[in-house]
Amino acid sequence: MKLKSELTDPELLRLMLSGDEEAFTLLYRRRHGSIFRFALQMCGSQQVAEDVTHDVFIFLMRDGHVFDSAKGSVSSFLLGVARNYVLRRFRGEQSTVPLLDDEDDQQFDQVTNEPGPLDDLTRAETIDNVRKAVLSLPERYREVVVLCELQELSYGETAEILGCAIGTVRSRLHRARALLLAKLRPVENAELTNSAAVQSARCFA
Amino acid sequence: MNCQRFESVAVELARGQMMGAEVRNEALAHSAACQTCATRLRTEEMLTRGFRSVFEEMTAIEAPAAIEANLLKAFRQPQVATVTLVGNSTPNYRRYWLTAIAALLLIVFSVIAVRWRTEKVVVPQNARNQTTPQKNEAVPQQSPEVRPEETLASDPHQPRPQRPKRRVNSSALTVASAQSNRDKGNDANHASYEVATEFMPLGYLNPVAFQDGGQIVRVEVPRTTLANFGIPVNMDRYNERVKADILVGVDGTARAIRFVQDKRLQ
Repeated sequence: MKLKSELTDPELLRLMLSGDEEAFTLLYRRRHGSIFRFALQMCGSQQVAEDVTHDVFIFLMRDGHVFDSAKGSVSSFLLGVARNYVLRRFRGEQSTVPLLDDEDDQQFDQVTNEPGPLDDLTRAETIDNVRKAVLSLPERYREVVVLCELQELSYGETAEILGCAIGTVRSRLHRARALLLAKLRPVENAELTNSAAVQSARCFA
Repeated sequence: MNCQRFESVAVELARGQMMGAEVRNEALAHSAACQTCATRLRTEEMLTRGFRSVFEEMTAIEAPAAIEANLLKAFRQPQVATVTLVGNSTPNYRRYWLTAIAALLLIVFSVIAVRWRTEKVVVPQNARNQTTPQKNEAVPQQSPEVRPEETLASDPHQPRPQRPKRRVNSSALTVASAQSNRDKGNDANHASYEVATEFMPLGYLNPVAFQDGGQIVRVEVPRTTLANFGIPVNMDRYNERVKADILVGVDGTARAIRFVQDKRLQ
């Protein structure tokens, strides 16, 4: 007989829904980290991330039966729920980070007055700047960067969570990276690299 | 590979994603030859390293233990979750109930309105139905073929007979009421049931002779007699008889004749 710790997520979920507390604990400990980090990277607020994590697992207790293994993994399901809670908070509160619309994409260049962290800053500074830059992205780009880059999920898993096509994920990630490069690049080089990043300069070599 | 093609694979190359070996080698060869694309690749790799740093930094971050404790408490008390569920869904149920009640009220008011309108229309019909027998009994209807007023009026040489006064209103109730009042008078005067033509002279006698007095004798004559006086005859009833009043002079000579029709027979 398999130990509960060796059970798959769907099996744990099934046991949890039948009232098995140990299964719930195992599933929580297995998956809460990625959910908490996702919420934190999306919101930039520890408190909001805690609330979202709590709400996600309360939802799992209540409506866990809606999970369909044919549609994806439990992890993707939970991240999808977390995404919905995060977006709900964005809609309701205009949360803790300033959100920029697509029309504001051009403002990235103007906002950047800091020195280029990718070249000569310490690792800690780099991490801090990258996180800030990610938080400043529009929602639909931010969630792709968080899932693909900061959670290191594949395009397929990300598409599953976001409910869109893999091509959409890929194109959004390209666009998001271009925006981040523009954000993190020194102002004096912004124009040159921006054209290289976004407008695909051609050398025909 | 050109720069445009390189651009499309630069991100995947920098992220170290799986791609065809041939494409990868071509992209690396292009970046080695093209300074712009080499810079582009280097920038993307730096960004990827930045993401990796953030990922590694945050891997150890987890939710506080208090959340797990709270969730376990909620898990051990299913009623809490149930209460939460009910609390969340109550507005929905309330909305459904309100919608159902509103729909029910709408149906009830609609039925009441329809019935009220129906009764409003039916009441005059009932009143008409009640008065119709009176009308049938008390208001003689003129047959289309014998309408003394019209037939007599068709004779241009005869003085126009006095039309019986009729009040015809659009309202059946008004007609019935007026007719009812009229019938009360008719009961007192039997002659009012009759419609008569003017006296038509028989022969070429001086009308002044009528002033001498005389006597009226009620007789019945064949209906075809009407034709002799220029009154149209309904040939379907040619074998019937009609009433007539004969004015007989003091000398016993018939001076004039008028035709009489009982309105109740119509």
